[in-house]
Amino acid sequence: MISFKNVNKWYGDLHVLNNINLEVDAGEVVVVCGPSGSGKSTLIRCINRLEPIQKGELVVDGMAVHDKKVNMTKIRADIGFVFQSFNLYPHMTALQNVTIAPIKVRKLNKKKAEELGREKLTRVGLKDRINSYPAQLSGGQQQRVAIARGLCMEPKIMLFDEPTSALDPEMIGEVLDVMRSLAKGGMTMMVVTHEMGFAREVASRVVFMDEGQIVEVAPPLEFFKNPQTERGKNFLSSILSH
Amino acid sequence: MWGFYFDELIRSLPFFLKGVWMTVAVSGLSLVAGSIIGFICGILRAGKSKILRVIIGAWVDVVRGTPFLVQVFIVFFILPSAGIELKAFPAAVIALSNLTASFICEIVASGILSVPKGQREAATSSGLSSYQQLRYIVMPQAMRAIMPPLVGQYVLLIKDSSVVSAIGVVDITRVGWLTVQRIPEGIMVFGLVGILYFCVCYPLINLSSYLEKRMTVMTVKL
Repeated sequence: MISFKNVNKWYGDLHVLNNINLEVDAGEVVVVCGPSGSGKSTLIRCINRLEPIQKGELVVDGMAVHDKKVNMTKIRADIGFVFQSFNLYPHMTALQNVTIAPIKVRKLNKKKAEELGREKLTRVGLKDRINSYPAQLSGGQQQRVAIARGLCMEPKIMLFDEPTSALDPEMIGEVLDVMRSLAKGGMTMMVVTHEMGFAREVASRVVFMDEGQIVEVAPPLEFFKNPQTERGKNFLSSILSH
Repeated sequence: MWGFYFDELIRSLPFFLKGVWMTVAVSGLSLVAGSIIGFICGILRAGKSKILRVIIGAWVDVVRGTPFLVQVFIVFFILPSAGIELKAFPAAVIALSNLTASFICEIVASGILSVPKGQREAATSSGLSSYQQLRYIVMPQAMRAIMPPLVGQYVLLIKDSSVVSAIGVVDITRVGWLTVQRIPEGIMVFGLVGILYFCVCYPLINLSSYLEKRMTVMTVKL
């Protein structure tokens, strides 16, 4: 579904992605972790070309994302993206937030789109907040609207960029619950997160990154019990010790 | 003495009203043309093309960095030597539209840039085209930042329009100049000129402060 082959990216002199090779199959849930500045966010932002890559091949659902001639609009419509800072549209209600892309990109008529929007908002537990504006919602609710916004495009892949990092602790659970149920429904997901409990429970594989490189890829139980590298060990002890 | 000139001034009122009409016509046409050009340039100035950004930026600097009176003279006196002859009225509208457009361009560009980058990223990720992003996501939010200074700019436009009297457009200011030659009571005549400008501007000033309050409330609410 997603295939990185020798992918490299630089910000000026900074080598943010260093020779990335990774295959993600349909239905897999891949959790990406690593210290800050390790390139995790950049990695998943490349998948829908929010960031272009400079070298290597990146193929998503059969489309060559690395090829500058490829029109990204169609691929992007099939990839849901959830941001750390939600990025809901503040001038629109929850329902308008989730229906704008189905109406304008998928060309659904308004009634069908709203039906779909209601269904997805209900699915993330926000049936009674359909007409609320983002500012009237808590952080956890906003992030769930953002997830519903992705789901309304009936995506083939969902990408999550630290979806719980901007949330108060008591709201993390409700967002992770939605993500868990998505994963169990067979959605292909890549999740950048520090929530190791979530990784342990639902990830098919954990990708550990450091300094722009993929250091380890392993099923969660193996990675958490027995990291193969020194850097992996250090990272785990630093995040699990507190 | 005052009484005599006052009656004279009252008799000149129709002339003054013609001046008001001329000021409104010049300002109104420039407002429309300047807004259209200003919005287009502002959107391009906040856009992706570096060449356009630089060209528009240079134009804005030149227009802002030269006196408006000189710009009016360039359009009216210097363009004819390049074969473009214009009457006073179209020359005035062109010069004033150009001035207004350059200011509105900056207001619009900074309004667009005030919308957080994440908004565009979210819209991009959903597959919305650049035009759709601008139309449905960016502009509605940018308008909150744009509206109050935009209306303020319209008030400035009306006041700046007095400069075009220098090339013979018979606006309120020009009527004042002509009248003061018959009625040598400068304070009275130009007092009236000032009052008339104020009458034209006042509704816009009110609109501006109303919008400013309303936009602030909306921002807080969101």
